[in-house]
Amino acid sequence: MMGARVDHFFSAVQAILNGLLTGSLYALIGMGMALIFGVMRIVNFAHGAFLMVGMYATYVLFQRTGLNPYFGFIVAAIQLFLLGYLFYWGLLKRIQGQSDFMQILLTLGFGLILTDGTQLLFGADYHQINLVLLGKNLHLGRQISLNAPWLISFGIALALGALLYFFVMHTMLGRAARAIAQNPYAAPLMGINVHRVQAFSFGIGAAAAGVAGGLLLPVFYLYPTVGDQFTLKAFVMVVLGGMGSIQGAAMAGLVLGVVENLTSLYWGNEWALAVDFVLFLLVLSLRPSGIFGSQRV
Amino acid sequence: MRRSQLLIAALCVLLGLVAPLIVRSDYVFQVLFRVSLFAALGLAWNLVGGYAGQLSLGHAAYFGVGAYGLALFSRAGIHPWPALFLAVLLAVLFAALIGGVSFRLRGPYFTLATIAFAEVLRLGAKNLVTITGGDVGLPVPGLFVKSFGRSLYLAAVLLTAVALGITAWVSRSRFGYYLMAIREDEDTALSVGVNAARCKLWVLLISAALTALGGGLYGSLFLFIVPDQVFSIDISVEMAIVAMLGGAGTILGPLMGSLILESAAELLKNLFHEAHLLIYGMLLVLVVLFLPEGIVGSLAHRLRRKSAIAVTAFKAPGTVPK
Repeated sequence: MMGARVDHFFSAVQAILNGLLTGSLYALIGMGMALIFGVMRIVNFAHGAFLMVGMYATYVLFQRTGLNPYFGFIVAAIQLFLLGYLFYWGLLKRIQGQSDFMQILLTLGFGLILTDGTQLLFGADYHQINLVLLGKNLHLGRQISLNAPWLISFGIALALGALLYFFVMHTMLGRAARAIAQNPYAAPLMGINVHRVQAFSFGIGAAAAGVAGGLLLPVFYLYPTVGDQFTLKAFVMVVLGGMGSIQGAAMAGLVLGVVENLTSLYWGNEWALAVDFVLFLLVLSLRPSGIFGSQRV
Repeated sequence: MRRSQLLIAALCVLLGLVAPLIVRSDYVFQVLFRVSLFAALGLAWNLVGGYAGQLSLGHAAYFGVGAYGLALFSRAGIHPWPALFLAVLLAVLFAALIGGVSFRLRGPYFTLATIAFAEVLRLGAKNLVTITGGDVGLPVPGLFVKSFGRSLYLAAVLLTAVALGITAWVSRSRFGYYLMAIREDEDTALSVGVNAARCKLWVLLISAALTALGGGLYGSLFLFIVPDQVFSIDISVEMAIVAMLGGAGTILGPLMGSLILESAAELLKNLFHEAHLLIYGMLLVLVVLFLPEGIVGSLAHRLRRKSAIAVTAFKAPGTVPK
């Protein structure tokens, strides 16, 4: 009887720790989305597709040159930054000032092009890479073990999340981005080049998704529509975190990871995503400013 | 302009009704079914998205409830047609619930909430295995016994005709003007006494009923449904693309949108196989960049401007004598 209770306790702790590990990657995805949403008020439906491109980029690098994904993600980040930057200058800038829905449709269309373009190039097959690391575990006591690749990606995600936070809070560009978020009409009057800052922010947001993709590669199956689930999750995080607050989105990412893992433990894996959406709808209808305060980017 | 749109639409329906006299091939019937089904769905979406300006990307919820309702009620021993009626009622009930929550939100938050509801229903249908069969799916009864494909096609054309009739009424009624006022500026509409909440909810109920009928027909064609097919976000997106491509907030728009999108998709599917979503993506980007009012909307705009020029040209000699 006692032993069973202790086992329950340890499996819950295990689920929470696993949740924090997954959540750190969610946090990175959510921060990228929140940056884009905060600065441009754009709901980026291509976010998951960016993540998917980051995964494929890291995968191709690994296959061709043998570059470890934990270094390859840097290349993916640069590529995704350029992709986001060019997407802004080429398409998004042209429809500035049009309705929200036009922006949603444009990013949705771009995401479809990326996803189906990838499918044309690489096929719809599932891929997986094998790292030696995959079987390694860190044991804490007898009951709890943490998977090595998740631990590494946790560390990298934490460091990059802090870097992103530093960029937004303490650099000139980040300050300009926050100024635009606060008042898009006054910002240009203060000498801020709005398009340049927005393009840069969009690139950074896309790069964050790409990094998350690269870090997910060792622990996830790879297929063209892999990103779709993350687009919806990123919305959930942005809403939970308070629209456009990047530290809120980061917190929401960790919470989402823990909630999903606990749901899987008690109700089964198949309900995890449903709980995300129910949480999302509850927050949206009961507390639209999010649960982590209303501080903007 | 409105009258000529109505005339063309009526002509299309008439052509659709006589098509079975000429067409014999089953394949062509299937394509025509898809065209008229998505014309009806686009028109249904257009009532909420085009006229009331509430941009839903969650209409798959009603589509799926229509299909699943038909399957579940007829499994309970009810004849398919009353079962379809009950399924539509169920979808309307869901619409009241979904609308009640999500219409309190505006702009992108509304759109996101509609997606979330449709996803919750999809996951529910996947996971409540004892009721819905989960990913294995459910059999759907055929709504017709004799000359199955042709009868279903004619039912889809009739659904399109009904949706057109409702759209024509909305475009000219007091109710429709309220909706357009809400679309243009909800706060101003509220301030002059339009009961925005009630208007939005009513139009969603109508739209959901039409969508559920479409879902029932769709399920009946395949005789089998799975959650990822009928509750898929792709259905919601396709409905929106059909309406936006043709022209949101016009009578003829969704009809033209469906005709172009579905026949193009069919042709390209045979050419490129898997890449038809790529075409949707490109079409979306092109429409947003170059035809934000849609095909019919842009044409109407241009014609109106031309007639406006003609009027000033006619008046000019009187007002500015040379």
